[in-house]
Amino acid sequence: MTIASFITKNALRNKRRALLCVLSVAVSLFLLVTLQVALREVTLPPEDVGAALRVVVRNKISISSPLPARQRAVIERIPGVEAVSPFSFFGGKYRNEESMSFAQFAMDPKLLRKIFGEAKMPENQYAAFEADQTACILGKVTADKYRLKVGDRVPLTSTLYPCSIELKIAGIYEGTIDDRNLLFHHKYLDEAGGSPGWVAMWWVKVRSVEEMPRVTEAINRAFASSSAEVRAETERAFQLSFVAMWGNIKIMVHSICTVVVFTLVLVTASTMSMAIRERFRELAVLKALGYRRRELFAFILAESFGLAALGAIIGIGTAWTLFTHASIAKLTQGIFLTFEVTPRIIGQAALVAASLGIIASLAPSIAVARMSVVEGLKTLD
Amino acid sequence: MSAPPVVVIQETSKIYQQGEINVIALDRVSLTIRGGEFLSLMGPSGSGKSTLLHIVAGVDRPTSGECCVRGIDLKRLNESELADWRNQNVGFVFQAFNLIPVLTAYENVELPLLLTRLRGKARRTQVNTALELVGLADRRNHLPRQLSGGQEQRVAIARALVTDPPLMVADEPTGNLDSQSAHDVLTILQALSRSAGKTVILVTHDPKAAAFGTRTVHLEKGQLLN
Ligand SMILES: Nc1ncnc2c1ncn2[C@@H]1O[C@H](COP(=O)(O)OP(=O)(O)O)[C@@H](O)[C@H]1O
Ligand SMILES: [Mg+2]
Repeated sequence: MTIASFITKNALRNKRRALLCVLSVAVSLFLLVTLQVALREVTLPPEDVGAALRVVVRNKISISSPLPARQRAVIERIPGVEAVSPFSFFGGKYRNEESMSFAQFAMDPKLLRKIFGEAKMPENQYAAFEADQTACILGKVTADKYRLKVGDRVPLTSTLYPCSIELKIAGIYEGTIDDRNLLFHHKYLDEAGGSPGWVAMWWVKVRSVEEMPRVTEAINRAFASSSAEVRAETERAFQLSFVAMWGNIKIMVHSICTVVVFTLVLVTASTMSMAIRERFRELAVLKALGYRRRELFAFILAESFGLAALGAIIGIGTAWTLFTHASIAKLTQGIFLTFEVTPRIIGQAALVAASLGIIASLAPSIAVARMSVVEGLKTLD
Repeated sequence: MSAPPVVVIQETSKIYQQGEINVIALDRVSLTIRGGEFLSLMGPSGSGKSTLLHIVAGVDRPTSGECCVRGIDLKRLNESELADWRNQNVGFVFQAFNLIPVLTAYENVELPLLLTRLRGKARRTQVNTALELVGLADRRNHLPRQLSGGQEQRVAIARALVTDPPLMVADEPTGNLDSQSAHDVLTILQALSRSAGKTVILVTHDPKAAAFGTRTVHLEKGQLLN
């Protein structure tokens, strides 16, 4: 017999209790990892190359105030600007749906590849999209969700404009950070009863990263004293302003995590206390046989640590396997696109488990340290 | 008596404070036990027998007085030194057997050896010898619940003697046993003192059990009777 097998035998003495303890650690850590991963996904700014070269121009007063269409020519003349596309949120509800389930944007199809180069779509679909003013392209996630294919019609009722439109799918794209959106001709929006002469935003493609600061600066200056002052910023900065809104959710997720960890501490600590209390007399016997405090501590710590570690391996492992191999977009109906279990999140969860193992062994260790052999021998089984 | 003294107790007292009252468990007890002696410690319940045994075995400390075992003043050892000392010098046998229920007979006997340098074959030989001495070699893979009370106590004796300690202490080891098993256990203890030269202290209130010893002393209200 080795010390390790002695510890294992002790830990498995009450198999059901050990199992329940391991499972509660596993489930809690799975939840913890899931929450952290979801939080990261939600607050992650886009980091693709395209985003680094895109500038978003919106009304300085508020994002819901439109910009005059004539600004386009002014922006196009600024050195370093490669392309400018209108970009208006349509806010349409699909068919008879109660609420919006994916976003639609009106833009300039000719500039699609220039500005949103990361979208992957067959050549003929690009051409078909450009050619037909009533055409649209749809992200693969949404297309899959509604089982839509090229040629299908998409009826949309706007919540922002007094109009309904019907678009024909010319292409289905993928490869962007968010393959959910629908894009269609801004011209069509204007004609169908949008507000001609006005756009919600400009999306600007800049030639190089080095020119970004100068270009944004120049755009801001160009309309500085006009009736529609603008705010130009990088796409990343633009996204981050949305992220800030997620702050509250972040706090909420963190509080849930704290509660989960706290509950977990109680569960493991009480499991260990129970397990050791039942063995008080045996530990006294071990002391009589010559085992020192530090050896008994090591036994208790190893047992507690072992249970927590096993739970951690199961919980974190399940999360990792699930999120790495399953299609999260499908599972969450497109609410989340990818769930990446980063080493940092794994590390955090493992740290929680390790602390758990240590904390749970504290009270029993102290009790065992205080116990005299004589007193321990008197305790009944 | 030519054998050197193994246990020397001088003016040893143990007093428990319970609020206002002092409970005197041992009252200035002096006693010398020589090597190879089989001492039976008798007395009514609550007379201090276990307390005396615990002090000699180094699991309890006297309130005052001396306790030297094989020339070592136990007072001078700290907790961890005392633990080491117990591992090397004392074999314990308890009334309630106190085997670890999840370990086999063999593993229970092996337990004190996990603390020693003994490894591999040497360790196996030692455990098997101890089990053979108590006549349970064929039960080595049985769990305590698969053994009778008498067999459990014999495994406990094997565990006590596996480190080959000079001193064996047994606190009412036959208290939970039928007379045949009690006889077996006492015979083993007697053999250990006679042929292995071990010093044995047996606490009992059964005169028949005490008769296995070479000498009997009586305690009453914490005092030694002559
Ligand atoms: N922890 C304690 N606190 C108070 N009194 C104790 C304690 N342990 C033992 N005693 C008292 O010391 C006396 C001797 O106890 P013990 O040595 O166990 O007697 P015996 O083994 O002869 O039955 C008893 O009166 C007992 O009540
Ligand atoms: Mg007693």
